[in-house]
Amino acid sequence: MDSISQEKLLVLIAPLIALQLLLTLISLIMCVRSKDLNGPKIMWVLIILLGSLIGPVLFFAFGRRSS
Amino acid sequence: MTQWMVLYRKEWLELIRSSKLIWMPVVFILLGAMQPIMTYMMPDIIANAGNMPEGTIIEIPTPHASEVLAQTLQQFGTLGLLIIALISMGTVSGERMSGTSAMILVKPVAYTSFVTAKWAAIVTITAISFVLGYGAGWYYTAALFDTVAWQDAAGSLLLFGLWLSFIGTLTILFSSLLRSAAAAAFTALGTAALLSIATSLLPKALAWSPGKLAGLASAQLTSGTASGMWPVIGITFVCIIAALAISVWSLRKYPSIEAV
Repeated sequence: MDSISQEKLLVLIAPLIALQLLLTLISLIMCVRSKDLNGPKIMWVLIILLGSLIGPVLFFAFGRRSS
Repeated sequence: MTQWMVLYRKEWLELIRSSKLIWMPVVFILLGAMQPIMTYMMPDIIANAGNMPEGTIIEIPTPHASEVLAQTLQQFGTLGLLIIALISMGTVSGERMSGTSAMILVKPVAYTSFVTAKWAAIVTITAISFVLGYGAGWYYTAALFDTVAWQDAAGSLLLFGLWLSFIGTLTILFSSLLRSAAAAAFTALGTAALLSIATSLLPKALAWSPGKLAGLASAQLTSGTASGMWPVIGITFVCIIAALAISVWSLRKYPSIEAV
């Protein structure tokens, strides 16, 4: 905690936060636009928003019905 | 060979269309980078947890960089395995259900190239995601702790990558044997868990088991050598080839859902 200042740590972590946001955003857009979901849409939106990393993974794996 | 390339490109197209090629590397990068950061911030997290009595002093020794990277590998060993099983669970059974496999296999397409093209696509996406994720973990370990020698990191990368490919192959095998995709994923994960537990319980009897690969990768990181890795690697390759042969046989016997 002494070797790296708080700001430097934030700069380091920033790309990860961006990636996490990107992942959430992509899955949210796909969820909202999709017409063929496994279960109610509002349930998947909540899963994506609340399950930080697992949520989008679950949505991609089980959310969409493959045509 | 050209026919195989066409099938492989079809699998690749499927990975892009189902957006697996986007989310899987992103999830692996987040997974790999999270562990070093969590370890780095652990004293702060505990200090802010709030349920400590006043004046508690917890001394956490700063872990060695190679230990941090080994913990990152463990993350890939749990969540990473789950993700690999999830993306490959429907490879054969899904196509059988939708009738795609029947449609392709009435054409003069070798069953072997049909299965191996799928397998190669799974291994490629696993390799891309794991290299990116492990690279992120290595980068953050170097930034927050200390650099790990790239030779050790690369050695553990190859060993653990082989373990991940082995799980992908197992999922394809069960996907061709079982009707349900979810059942295939969970049988493969169960087999992986059983293999690792059996290998740690009976280290002498199962000295060559593929379940040792994850432990060997950690050993490569922490001590710089993974003794006895060649027989394990050999056996794993034999198991992968056998699993592919069984899936080809199963697909030949039951090419469509009506025949099951």
